[in-house]
Amino acid sequence: MGNFNACVIAGGQCKWGVREASYVDLIQEAAKACVDDLPGLKPSNIDGLIFASTFVGRRSTQVNTAPVVAERVGLKPTSICTRVDVLCAGGSTGILLAQGLVESGMAEVVMVLGSEKLYTPERWQIQYDEMSAVDHEWDGPNGIGPPPVWFSVQAQEHMKTYGTTKEQLAAVSITNYKHGLMNPKGHFQKELTMKDIEEAPVIAAPLGLFDCCPLTDGAAAMVIAREDIAKDLTDRPLVYLRGGAQVSIHSAGANWPGKTMGDWPHLKLAAEKAYERSGLTPKDIDVAQTHDCFSISEIIEVEELGFCEKGEGGPFCEAGEITIGGKIPINTDGGLISSGHPFGATGIRMGTEIFKQLQGRAANQVEGAKFGLTHNLSGGNVEHTIVTYGLEPKK
Amino acid sequence: MKGIPFLEGKYSPTLDLYPIECKEFNRIYWFYDNLREGRFTTTKCKACGKVSFPPRVICPECYSDDLEVVDLPTKGKVITIVEKWGGVPIQYKPPMIGAWIEFPDDSPVKHYFSLLYDCEKGQVQEGDEVELYVFDVSPHPIDKGRESIMKERVFFGFAPVKK
Repeated sequence: MGNFNACVIAGGQCKWGVREASYVDLIQEAAKACVDDLPGLKPSNIDGLIFASTFVGRRSTQVNTAPVVAERVGLKPTSICTRVDVLCAGGSTGILLAQGLVESGMAEVVMVLGSEKLYTPERWQIQYDEMSAVDHEWDGPNGIGPPPVWFSVQAQEHMKTYGTTKEQLAAVSITNYKHGLMNPKGHFQKELTMKDIEEAPVIAAPLGLFDCCPLTDGAAAMVIAREDIAKDLTDRPLVYLRGGAQVSIHSAGANWPGKTMGDWPHLKLAAEKAYERSGLTPKDIDVAQTHDCFSISEIIEVEELGFCEKGEGGPFCEAGEITIGGKIPINTDGGLISSGHPFGATGIRMGTEIFKQLQGRAANQVEGAKFGLTHNLSGGNVEHTIVTYGLEPKK
Repeated sequence: MKGIPFLEGKYSPTLDLYPIECKEFNRIYWFYDNLREGRFTTTKCKACGKVSFPPRVICPECYSDDLEVVDLPTKGKVITIVEKWGGVPIQYKPPMIGAWIEFPDDSPVKHYFSLLYDCEKGQVQEGDEVELYVFDVSPHPIDKGRESIMKERVFFGFAPVKK
């Protein structure tokens, strides 16, 4: 077994939205977009597959999914062929696992592919399915399943504790919609105004329609290679995976770890671990993709990730620090709020955006970006997953 | 088999919200039996003293399986309240009303998030007291030899304290 570096060499996604396609259609589109991203890359270069999806078993009635996916996208894995299920963090979890496999020498070139097909003929079922994505016997029947309920409480508590305002929530949505205008493969390409937000239906106060990410069909793929093989396959700058972290609690309804619901100490711990493992600090991060499932989420995330002081997330976002030219441009391709959120694919979309940012070919380019970070929360905010990327490996 | 909700036009078993609570399929069936008696209970480890909620079959702290049943408070105070109007699962009518509830200082469980039942829009305010509310849910059939028998089920939430 070796001690290698792992690099991202390609990434891509299919068109996200309400798609007239099955999940196996979507994964083929995403795999093609990913392989086409690096001229010369062929399916035969890839020896491993990690597939990320949570609802494929319920929405598409397919379990033992990875072999089916491998066959559909023309892979013949010899190192790993498996599926991960961490809901919204499935894609990022796959990336962390691929990093470990490549660094250890267990695999050489791994495709991480994520997909969800949420809109099926009986589209109302997804509201029920979400009850099973939290602790089904305790949190689900008590109402945490539909995410706006839970995040409304978190928004209210953050407002009560730190004075966060509805205008600050709106600033996050407006910024991310603006970024999404440059992402033709995202769910929405729309300029969002304060008037739109004020006139939108209330979902769970203070959260209105545009404070919430949509449910989305979609798929995304990324290829991660051992450094020496990556050098043979690409002339572009290598983007190294530098390390990450995943922190989990159980039963959000009874065992919330924060003093208030506006405090996310499990994210703070994940950030500390990820920074320690990557040899980076918050000040080193040039561009980030954080899990804006709701506008309030991004406000709390910039605090717990160390981009601003605790309690200052609202003013930080409202002051434009999260857009191009700000202190830390975030969700530069539109984030979940504009790009959509097919759970297992989201972390891969985020990672691909960071990969393109560091190679200098993103649509909303952060000039001179050298280090990037992605963050996902999942399952009723019981888990936080962070991946870090850099133009140089950790020494 | 008679009584399978899906075959009677109700809902698919995979979409069932509630646990199978009977002794044949659940080692903490006693929790639900206690609910029927108005008790809100959980497990305490006899080895290390850790009180866990939800109840367990092993202690998550020391992995002892020598546990005893203890009572939790059945009343708490509303800290934050939420009403959900959009995207409500079809079993519920909007608004779904839920609350972040704080239990008394001496409670081993400090907070719990629960739906509120028997509660109208605007009826409960922050600081109000709520109490345990137990209600029947659809019984579920289980196989017993070549026969199927119906197992009654209950679940819990909280409701405004009647004044």
